[in-house]
Amino acid sequence: MQTTADSAPPARAEYWSWVNGWTIGAVLIAATVTVPIVTVILIGLTPSDDVWSHLASTVLPLYIGTTLQLMIGVGLGTLTIGVATAWLVSMCRFPGRRIFEWALLLPMAMPAYVIAYLYTDILEFAGPIQVLLRELFGWTSKREYWFPEIRSLGGAISMMTLVLYPYVYLLSRAAFMEQSVCVLEASRVLGRGPWRSFFSVALPLSRPAIVIGVSLVLMETLNDFGTVDFFAVSTFTLGIYDVWLNMNNVAGAAQLASVLLFFVFFLVMAERFARRKMRFHNASAKYSALPGYKLEGTKRCLAIICCALPVVFGFVLPAGVLVGYAIVNFEAATSAELLRHARNSVMLSGLAAALAVAIGIFMAYGVRLRNERILKFMVRFASMGYAVPGSVLAVGVLVSLGALDNGIDGFMRGNFGFSTGLLFSGTIAAVTFGYLVRFLALSFGTIEASLGKITPHMDGAARSLGHGPVSTLRRIHLPLMRGGVLAAAILVFVDSMKELPMTVILRPFNFHTLATYVHQFASDEQLGEASLAALAIVGFGILPVIVLSFAIARARPGFSNEVQVL
Amino acid sequence: MKGLHIYGACHSHGNQQVLNNASLLVPAGELACLLGPSGCGKTTLLRLAAGLERLQKGKILIDDTVVADSELHVPTEQRGIGLMFQDYALFPHLTVIENVTFGLRGLSSAKARQRGMEMLVQVGMTADASKHPHMLSGGQQQRVALARALAPDPKLLLLDEPFSGLDTNMREQIREETLRVLKSSGVATMMVTHDPEEAMYMADRIKILGNGQILQSGRPHDIYFHPQHRFVAKMFGLMNRFECVVDGGSVEIPLGPVQAQGLEEGRRVEVLVRPEGVTLESNGGGVPVEIQSTHLLGHDNIVRVRLTDEAQCQPGQSELYVRVHHAFEPELSKRITAGVDPDYVFIYAIDEEGAAGAEAACRPSHAKMLLSKSIRAVAGR
Repeated sequence: MQTTADSAPPARAEYWSWVNGWTIGAVLIAATVTVPIVTVILIGLTPSDDVWSHLASTVLPLYIGTTLQLMIGVGLGTLTIGVATAWLVSMCRFPGRRIFEWALLLPMAMPAYVIAYLYTDILEFAGPIQVLLRELFGWTSKREYWFPEIRSLGGAISMMTLVLYPYVYLLSRAAFMEQSVCVLEASRVLGRGPWRSFFSVALPLSRPAIVIGVSLVLMETLNDFGTVDFFAVSTFTLGIYDVWLNMNNVAGAAQLASVLLFFVFFLVMAERFARRKMRFHNASAKYSALPGYKLEGTKRCLAIICCALPVVFGFVLPAGVLVGYAIVNFEAATSAELLRHARNSVMLSGLAAALAVAIGIFMAYGVRLRNERILKFMVRFASMGYAVPGSVLAVGVLVSLGALDNGIDGFMRGNFGFSTGLLFSGTIAAVTFGYLVRFLALSFGTIEASLGKITPHMDGAARSLGHGPVSTLRRIHLPLMRGGVLAAAILVFVDSMKELPMTVILRPFNFHTLATYVHQFASDEQLGEASLAALAIVGFGILPVIVLSFAIARARPGFSNEVQVL
Repeated sequence: MKGLHIYGACHSHGNQQVLNNASLLVPAGELACLLGPSGCGKTTLLRLAAGLERLQKGKILIDDTVVADSELHVPTEQRGIGLMFQDYALFPHLTVIENVTFGLRGLSSAKARQRGMEMLVQVGMTADASKHPHMLSGGQQQRVALARALAPDPKLLLLDEPFSGLDTNMREQIREETLRVLKSSGVATMMVTHDPEEAMYMADRIKILGNGQILQSGRPHDIYFHPQHRFVAKMFGLMNRFECVVDGGSVEIPLGPVQAQGLEEGRRVEVLVRPEGVTLESNGGGVPVEIQSTHLLGHDNIVRVRLTDEAQCQPGQSELYVRVHHAFEPELSKRITAGVDPDYVFIYAIDEEGAAGAEAACRPSHAKMLLSKSIRAVAGR
């Protein structure tokens, strides 16, 4: 029993144990996905002409200030709307709740640039609202009255908040639904009213999901080009475009981008830190129906208004205007090409969604299986693609694929005497890769959150019953996180469909998606021509939203065997 | 030898050493209870046996096959074990029968279903075969979890606090049923619990885990009547404690002299007396005591008494806890006297430094030292 080494600290004899299929695969994929980002950083760090000091002394402070204001505005806006509506529809009972459950997701289908074009059309000096006001009050010039300027920072915050809040809504709603009602009841018994129980129990418990939702929103905000360009709000992203396209300075753009990347890096780290501090597993095997506070009188009216406003302004009104345009301009808007563009869009987005989900599952499960530091680091790094503005990522993809193509070409010519030309650059593969780099975080984050809610005892039970990691994933985790996987697929699909800046740059010659088609016309203020294509983007966006809302309605703890929604 | 064999397992979580050279043996057909206070490493030891954690040092064998040492780690799914968690971990998306047949790989679905139903018959759950776990009560979920763990006929069954989620009445019933099912299966079972009564009821052998080591292993009777360690003695609830000096081969506690074999003269010792070792009598020949309060527990009565003659007590030692049969009604008699049953008295030397905290370093001083088979087997290597 007595051994000499008893007092020595236990040796970790598993130095090479991380070398297994899951880890190698996940690290390789993560490395591939980070190539464009690393490329951008490398270009950014490479000293070029004095563009850098010039930028720092002139526009940089403005870019940073505006970007911060935009982020704070959109962050607070989406947080308030998303969490409040999620709480109302999941915990309270009032007329129309079942409709709002899915209707609140509708604005997700609306790209920010589309509603920016539409609201500008409605609210500008020559738009119907101001015309009506002038006629009612007999004003004749702009100086006689005050009207909010839509093409401003405030306008951009409003537009983005209106279409981005569903991310927060979706994730916090799922978190509220998955919460054990017991803890809420415990809080009520301890003397806290529903209102205080919400702030002291439900909200802290849902914090990881809400933080993920808001961080997704902020990353989207940093990425947006269409809206800020149209409204002429000088954000970082716009600055990068400006330096790149107007000053034709790739290095300068990449240098600006690397600053932005640094910024985003801290955002991601802060989020991860908050998440790590609180790991919740739904250990309770007992579920009961959600409390369903019945609202009466004024509260009921307020609840309905709270839920209706985001839907009306984020979807119903702009969609109505869009439909109106489409009817008026039906002849001009329809073309034989439209169907082809639509098919391109569906194919690209579907491919990206399938790949992103498969890789997301692989990596999230890899992290769960082997809690390796290198793997976790790689995965976090790969997730930063989402925060990188599409244009910058496009530069990264173009440069890295170009280098790869040249490398292969050179190798083949040197060894086999023939040229392969450009294999990947300017192909659908390049566009798909771009989407993947950008949207992998979306899929990974959603799947990881969903996976994190399955107690590790499930893994232990399945493994002890003779099922290996793959079989356990297939038979236990995948069915349990079906909702999360579905949500991940939908999020990636819809976002790929709406994606504009990267598609414009990476697409093959003469290849159009619905988004690039709309952009081409709308930026020339020919919204009528593009209305049908825009409507098609919105329509495709809605379809998955409907599927998702059905899944949400069916999966309620205690009512079905499906425990996990998102 | 069939069953589970752990040699010198060491494990740390970060800087915190959880297990320090823990060794145990659970032969086939035997039910061993791993008993210890919360956070003593019981669950870690179970997880090591299951392969859910990597062994840092030591060796684990199941049916004479090494499944883990500092180099080797056989994955959980290849160890042929059954595992049952405190929360049962039933798969919520599968029905009861699907849960039970989950581990029956390589059987045709008809055969698997047949075996699954056999298991459900054993635990009396056939009527609920097509229900989903959330439709079952806690006791029913426990039965399904047991059937699921036993269905693949594991070499070793590991139970992690299997009854702690149940209410008292249900717990006793389920405990009884579980014992019956386990005995008929003949599987080597290691159960983790923090409830000494549960361990006494269930176990063929109890293994007391403290300070990261197995402090004592033996039949419930041995553990209860011959604790080799003050930590083990104290596992079973409140003790009456006295500090004395050995004098003439015995110690003098307020209740009278007690034999102290094998202890050197003049040694300071700690004397622990179980509440059931103090006897109360009406007008008997013992030490006079005064009743402070009585608490009826059903079969037993816990009585708090104070020694009337405080002169012979050290400060703070004049109060005693006594467990008597409920038929004894001390209120009715005027003069009560207390005596002591030496079978319930345990004497341990106090360290020269006077540090009672360094328990692991103390050698058991009880005259009848029992070296359990498993410890001896390990020591023999």
